[in-house]
Parts: sequence; C-alpha cells; structure tokens
Amino acid sequence: MTATRPLSCHLDVLRLPLLGRRLRGRRGRLALQLPLALAALLLVLDGFTGPQQAARNLATVTPWVHFRGFAVLALLLAGNLFCMACPFTLTRTLAKRLSLRGRRFPQRLRNKWPAITALFLLFLAYEVLDLWASPALTAWLILAYFAASFVLEVVFTESAFCKYVCPPGTFNFVYSTVSPTQIGVKNPEVCRTCVGRECINGSYSPMPVMRVDAIPGGQREVQHGPDGTLGCGTLLFAPQISSNLDCTMCLDCVRACPHDNASLFVRQPARELFQPDAWPKRWDVSLLVIMLAFMGLTNAFGMVPPVYALQHTLVDSLGIRSEWLLVGLILLAGGVVAPALLALAAGRLGQVLTSTTRKYPLRHTVAAFAPAFVPLGLGIWMAHYGFHFLIAPGTIIPVIQEFLGQPGEWARFSGTLDLTLIGLLQLLALLAGFVGSLAVANRAALRLYRQAAMPGLLPWALLLLGLALAAAAVFSLPMEMRGSVLFD
Amino acid sequence: MKRIIILLLLLLAGCRAQNPTPTAETRLDIEIQVEPVPPAVGEATLLVTVTDAAGQPVNDAKISARGDMSHAGMAPVLAETTGGTDGLYRLPFQWTMGGDWLVEITAARPDGTTTTRQFDLTVQP
Repeated sequence: MTATRPLSCHLDVLRLPLLGRRLRGRRGRLALQLPLALAALLLVLDGFTGPQQAARNLATVTPWVHFRGFAVLALLLAGNLFCMACPFTLTRTLAKRLSLRGRRFPQRLRNKWPAITALFLLFLAYEVLDLWASPALTAWLILAYFAASFVLEVVFTESAFCKYVCPPGTFNFVYSTVSPTQIGVKNPEVCRTCVGRECINGSYSPMPVMRVDAIPGGQREVQHGPDGTLGCGTLLFAPQISSNLDCTMCLDCVRACPHDNASLFVRQPARELFQPDAWPKRWDVSLLVIMLAFMGLTNAFGMVPPVYALQHTLVDSLGIRSEWLLVGLILLAGGVVAPALLALAAGRLGQVLTSTTRKYPLRHTVAAFAPAFVPLGLGIWMAHYGFHFLIAPGTIIPVIQEFLGQPGEWARFSGTLDLTLIGLLQLLALLAGFVGSLAVANRAALRLYRQAAMPGLLPWALLLLGLALAAAAVFSLPMEMRGSVLFD
Repeated sequence: MKRIIILLLLLLAGCRAQNPTPTAETRLDIEIQVEPVPPAVGEATLLVTVTDAAGQPVNDAKISARGDMSHAGMAPVLAETTGGTDGLYRLPFQWTMGGDWLVEITAARPDGTTTTRQFDLTVQP
C-alpha cells in the first residue's frame, strides 16, 4: 500500500488568484454570509406574507428544491460550501461578545447523539407538518435555526449548534467527507512550536492582551484583543484535521493563524473514507453515518404509494390515532432501528466469519465499515434531491418574478427534464454510490482481515447491496407527493 | 448600510401585485368537477361551472386553470378557455403526477372583474 501524500503537496485553494485572497480576508466569510442572510430574510418575509401555495413561494421553493439540489452537488464537487456561507452563524461574533461565562457544552452531549436526535425530529416534522407544502412553517423553521444558533453560541464557548445539533450541518459534515477539499497545514513543524494555537483558540479577547509567539526563524508578536479573530468553532486543531467531519469550512483557522500556516487544500475526493484513523471509533459517529444513509431511503419511501398502504396497515393493526406516532414509528424503524440492528449484525457476522471476535471490539469493526455508507448514502440523497431539482428547475424564476410584483412567466419557465432521463440519472447516482461504497468496504476488509477479507466483506457487501436495491425499487415507483392521508 | 437593507426589505414586501377584490355584486360562483373520477395521472378534463351573484350562468368569462402540486418546485399545469355553455366550461387538463394538488380557477369577465377560487384534489398515481 502506498503512503498518502500530505495535503500540503496538493493545490492550495487559498493561493488561487483573486478567490484565495478574498476567502482569506478578514471579512471573507462575512461576504459570503451576508447575501445568504439577505436571502433568508426574504424567504421569511415571503413565507409569512406571500401566497401560501408552496409552488409559488420563495420560502418553500428555494430551500426544499434548489438549495438541497445545489448543496449536494457542492459537497460532491467542491466542499461544504453551505456551512462556509451559513447565515445562521452570522451573529457568532456578536454572541461571543455577549457570552460572559463561557461554559463548555455539557460533556455527556459532546457527541453525535444530539445531532441524530435533531435529524430524526426534523425528518419527523417535515413529514407530519408537510413542511415542503407550508411557506409559513418553513419561515418559522428558518427563524428557529437563527435563534438556536445564536442562543447556543451565547451560552457555550464552542459552536455547539454547528458541532452537536444543526441537522443540515450534520448532513453536510457527513457528506463533505467525499469532497475534494480539506483544511490542513503547510508545515506541521510550525504548529508543533506554536504557543498561542490561535487556529483553535482564536485571537479574540474582550480585553487587549499582548502575547509573544515563538516561531521558527524569529519572534512574532500576536495581538489578542477585541479586534482578534475567533478560532475554530468546532474545536478542530488544524494540524490534526484528518477528516471533514465537523469542519464548517469557515476558514477561521486560516484567518487566526499568525504564521499563515493553515489553508484549504485540494485532495483526492473521499480520501478520508479509505484512511483507517481518519474518523473516531465511536458508536455515535458510526451510527450517524449508517443511519443517514437509511434515512435517505426512508425519506424517499415517504413519497411513494406503498407508504400509504403501510400506514393503513399500522392504523388497522395497532389502532394508532396520532400521525406523529404513526410517522414516528415508520421513521424510527426504517431510519434508526433497522440500520443499527443491521450494522451490528453485519459487524458480528463478519467477526465470526473471520474469527476475529476477540481481536477487534464490535465498535471497531462497525467503525471500520461505517465510512462505506457515505458514497451510497450520498447517492440515495442525490437521487432524491436531484429528482425534485430537475423536474422543473426553472420554476424559481416565475416565483421570484411574482415576489417582485411582476407577472410570473410560468409557461416559459416550467420546462421539465424528460422523466426517463431523470430516472437514468437517479440510477447512475445509486450505482456510482454503490460502487464507491463497495470500494471503501473492500479496503476496510483488506485492512482488518487481510487474507480473510472476502468473508469479512460479505455481510457488509450484502447490506450495501440490499440498501442499494431497496433504493432503486423506491425510485422506480411513481412518485406520489401527498401529505397526511389518514388524519385530515 | 442597515438602513438601506431595511428600506430594500420594506420595498420588496410591498411590491407583490394585489388583485382588486370583487364586490358582492360582481363576485362569481365557481364550481369544478373532474373527469375521470377519481382523478388519476394522465389526461383529464376540468368541468368549470360559473354563475353570477344571482345564480345565473355566466358564458362570457375567460377561464384560467392552474394546477400546482402541494410540493414546491413542480411545474404547474396551465389551461385556458373561453365561451361557456349554460355557464359550463370544459378545459383539457393533465395530471402529471399522483399526490395532492391545488387547482386555482380564475374567471375574468369582459368588464375586467375577476374571481378566483382554489380547490384541493388528490390524484391517484
């Protein structure tokens, strides 16, 4: 096996003409956040005051159709651009100035369980409240994101909302692991001798403090004070970053580094999925990734006819009278319980088939194969979001026209891509995801089991195949976009 | 800068066009029926019945139909016709997908008054 080239040998995005300087600049992120913040305000405005037909309101068309389509494409082709330009964290500096006590987020919650819970609740609310059909509720959701981000930034020292809670952020974290960019450092030796660790600590302080940093080749004064820069909100230490998980690509580390040592590098796409120690071997991280792939399937399943037959069966057999409970049960079974049990079963079976039950804890085995669920998971989400995006991508134009008081040119901009072509693209996304997942799982099996790689791979390969086939079956069914069918 | 943004938002808030509200005398009553029943994906016909405030059939209206799915981002289905018979207008239509639909019917009379009504329908896949 060949050693992976260090990131610093790759293209430094922040050295690119014009773009690099703008992104690195003190207000580089602000310049990206302000347009999105303005867009969010307009969505909220239209959500509350505009027509309450989802198809004619910016609050529903923009986030539920175009944003999701662009976000997954950006993750695949560039990086976590949405978190980079996230308007919800616009008030971070203000929140930090208001923050007096500076407590850490509770230790028991410093993991991905809150994010898994938040994702589950968002998907539940999305289905039960028909968020895709309600401009006003979507506007409330946007405001809730702003409020939650601000409050958690005020109360805790780290960016707890981004790191532990934010559902779209968590989605972006997981699937940015396939992205072709990653934060890294040019020279790790500089970090080894760095005193201030500004990339993580920041140089912001309510009171002016003068520090002297010893750096190779001489002394450099580093001023910490009210005009300083915040450090990494998600507490990542630049030279130790081996994964895009938890990286918002805010570039605060780059701006804070007094040695100009941190940067954003181009890397081999999905590089970290093939590296054994890129991710922590934790249940919460592994199950988040596996569950998110299954949630993609469950979310798509919620839009095809069999889900209504299942709902009728559950109502008839269990006597359920609450839609929250009914949809919650389906989401819990398909998006949480099934993936957890199947992953545990695959891990245990792999251990038994390779006689490594005593060699590796089950947690390590599952953690080794969890990255394999990223490519297929992304393929499932791309197939779903791609459908909504491609079915009528131009409709955003008449929505904007009507928002601006002009007659909407619906007939002109309602062109739709051929459904067969969309179906082929969906299949291609699934196929590419499945092949990528198999490659990652194969590498994990070779690493863990060496000569017994094939039997060790078998249960995981079957699980991935089952997931891919189930997704293909769901996407081959006629899409039926309905809200509640039982509890109107 | 902040003032400019606030001003911009207020201007944008006020720029969405508002249709004049018809009075009780000019308001039309609009009912629809759909063929085939129950509605299913494919070709369909909207049967729109328009009557005036006195219950008399209206035959001189221009009828516009717009079908939107409840999910955002779907292309609307548009149809128009003129010239009713006994207040009945037939509009060829197409349900492009199964699911919840919102059909908006607008009747515009030669004197410029318009009446709009919305109908919820569920289309079988």
